[in-house]
Amino acid sequence: MKTYEFELKFSLPRTAPDSGYFIERLGETGCTDALVGIGQSGRIAFHFNRDANCAFEAVLSAIKDIKQAIPEASLIEAAPDLVGLSDIADILGYSRQNIRKLMMNNMASFPTPIHEGKTILWHLSSILTWVKDRDRYQIDELLLDVANTTMQLNIAKESQHLDASMQRQFLAGI
Amino acid sequence: MPRKRHPKKAVEDALRYAEQHGWHVEIGGSHAWGKIYCPNNDKDCRCGEFCITSIWSTPANPSNHGKQIRRVVDNCNARKAV
Repeated sequence: MKTYEFELKFSLPRTAPDSGYFIERLGETGCTDALVGIGQSGRIAFHFNRDANCAFEAVLSAIKDIKQAIPEASLIEAAPDLVGLSDIADILGYSRQNIRKLMMNNMASFPTPIHEGKTILWHLSSILTWVKDRDRYQIDELLLDVANTTMQLNIAKESQHLDASMQRQFLAGI
Repeated sequence: MPRKRHPKKAVEDALRYAEQHGWHVEIGGSHAWGKIYCPNNDKDCRCGEFCITSIWSTPANPSNHGKQIRRVVDNCNARKAV
């Protein structure tokens, strides 16, 4: 067993009862390995340190425990997955400028972002994999496992919006 | 009057750390031992959900729970900006 660290953010229905009620339910379903944040109305966030055999087992069981306690909660995002330059710097333990330089000096091979704009976002998983392949930084294998899993979860969640026919034609085109 | 202490030392130490940084501790609940409130709770906060954080009476792992609490205190944007 290893301990996997990740965050899950859920939305609560507008008519939800007081958060105190949910927290007692979460205590009953075994979520006492998570720190529960209730600072924003209509939201509930979980910072888990969960023991499991792999990140997938940890994340899936965490979601099951939450949904058992609060069936009406709906997942917004799993983290760490979407990251900007500052997040990457924090995670790898380097300065933001250092990571920026790394990106600028390796434009051809650096992972392509999933969003460009005022802030640029990448999947943490692709950044860690790239860094690992360059063999210059030590990568936390548990973190890589978590980042892969949270990416899969976030994509799976978004795939509910997929139109099968459009997807087929788009994938053939890109 | 001093507040009631948390039964787990690792958690109590983390609560004191939060209090040193201006967080307010409120006791109440059953599975929940209480809540901590960030003194800088504002709209721009990136970690907004954790501006109010619930504390367990009997966390699965008290040492991890303590670390989770310290992490929230350290991650506070208002504090980082100082």
